[in-house]
Amino acid sequence: MISVETRQLTKKYKEKTAVDKLDLTVGEGEFFALLGVNGAGKTTTVRMLSCLSKPTSGECFIMGHSCSAEQAKVKRIAAISPQDTAVAEKLTVRENLEMICGIYGFDKAKKSSKTAEMITLFGLGEYENNAAKTLSGGWKRKLSIAMALITEPKVLFLDEPTLGLDVLARRELWEVIRGLKGRITIILTTHYMEEAEQLSDRIAIMINGKLAALGTLSELESMTGETGLENVFVSVAERGRKEAAE
Amino acid sequence: MSAIAAFSSRNFKEVIRDPLSYIFCLGFPLVMLVIMTLVNESIPAQAGMTIFRIDNLAGGIAVFGLTFVMLFTCMGISKDRAGAFLTRLYASPMRSADFILGYTAPMFLLCVIQIVITFIASFIVSLITGVELSAAGLLLSLAALLPSALMMTGFGLLFGSLFGEKAAPGLCSIVISLASFLGGVWFDADSTGGVLLDICRVLPFYHSTRAARAAAAFDFETCLPSLLITLAYMAAVMAAAIAVFRIKMRADAE
Repeated sequence: MISVETRQLTKKYKEKTAVDKLDLTVGEGEFFALLGVNGAGKTTTVRMLSCLSKPTSGECFIMGHSCSAEQAKVKRIAAISPQDTAVAEKLTVRENLEMICGIYGFDKAKKSSKTAEMITLFGLGEYENNAAKTLSGGWKRKLSIAMALITEPKVLFLDEPTLGLDVLARRELWEVIRGLKGRITIILTTHYMEEAEQLSDRIAIMINGKLAALGTLSELESMTGETGLENVFVSVAERGRKEAAE
Repeated sequence: MSAIAAFSSRNFKEVIRDPLSYIFCLGFPLVMLVIMTLVNESIPAQAGMTIFRIDNLAGGIAVFGLTFVMLFTCMGISKDRAGAFLTRLYASPMRSADFILGYTAPMFLLCVIQIVITFIASFIVSLITGVELSAAGLLLSLAALLPSALMMTGFGLLFGSLFGEKAAPGLCSIVISLASFLGGVWFDADSTGGVLLDICRVLPFYHSTRAARAAAAFDFETCLPSLLITLAYMAAVMAAAIAVFRIKMRADAE
């Protein structure tokens, strides 16, 4: 089943076209990485898919529901962990999780069981009664992802989840994210090639708002004649830059 | 309802866990209450100046305190808008009405708590100074201040939606100064006349203070017109705040 679909999805800001006629399909349970240099259109795409931004033209669908016409349904089944840490700073870890349960209308029993489940899954037990503002960057990111996952989404958007984290914290977070593979559809945007290489089933590379390459790592390697995602990415990005200059 | 309750609870906790909110919303008005009572004690009876006598001061200080709730509402919203926390909630099933009620309800509750504490302190001061101040009158004054509480929360919602995190506190400070001065908290506006009184009468703060003082004195003839004007301002400010918040929420989604 198709989990995420975009049809000629376009977003324009005055003269600038941030996303240009993007056609994508992501299967259910797939781990899909969206790569691109700064300003390539990754975050704008994720914002449109999570109903945070309206497309200028084209359409996008989550589990068959239109992100424009069926926002309420889409918002129930999709969740986002934004680029910046999106937690309530003065609330404790537990209170942050319980707040999200309340916002999604969970009853008392479900709120309690889901909160306990997330605290265990993300290893947050030691900090559950600590205010979010006292957590380190890595723990805040874990909490931020837990707050997205607690809503039982069918599609989870992770917008640069490890940005600004040190190597150890990043590796630790990868392990958590890896544990989610196959359970739900995950769309990951990242600048870290290693992250996409290790975690993703398929990879899309966006250049200037357009889809420049799409496939598994081995497919992309054969397509470009390069080895490793970083070389593939550089090859696709340079080709895109040349085409734009012509 | 569940979303409103969860979001309200978060906003309430954010304020009560901020030590600055105790200093500004409670400490500062109570300190002013004590200082102005001491000033009143130092004014000779022959001067006939009663503005700082506790029966007049109680309502004025309550209005003064409400302006700080406006400041904290404004700061909370502008801070949320600047960060990614609202981005997460915009992507949730919450509707704009849930956000507005979620911000308004806890701040309105804080206003009520603040007025109650101010009036308890005023009652104690009245017992010490021997000025008559009835508990029933203070209860009526509390009721008369409820539209002002909602209006101040509405101002906070409006300014928090309009201005950024850096500009909001500064602009609110101007409103606090204007509200306390032109609201007749620190001087008897009615004894001035002329352009100054006209300006005071046009703005809602004078009527908030007047309604609160008159209600405490069971002077319904003075209270009612000012209360009606405050209610009209409350409706207008809340309508503007809701409209602006919705426009900004849509703009943030672009």
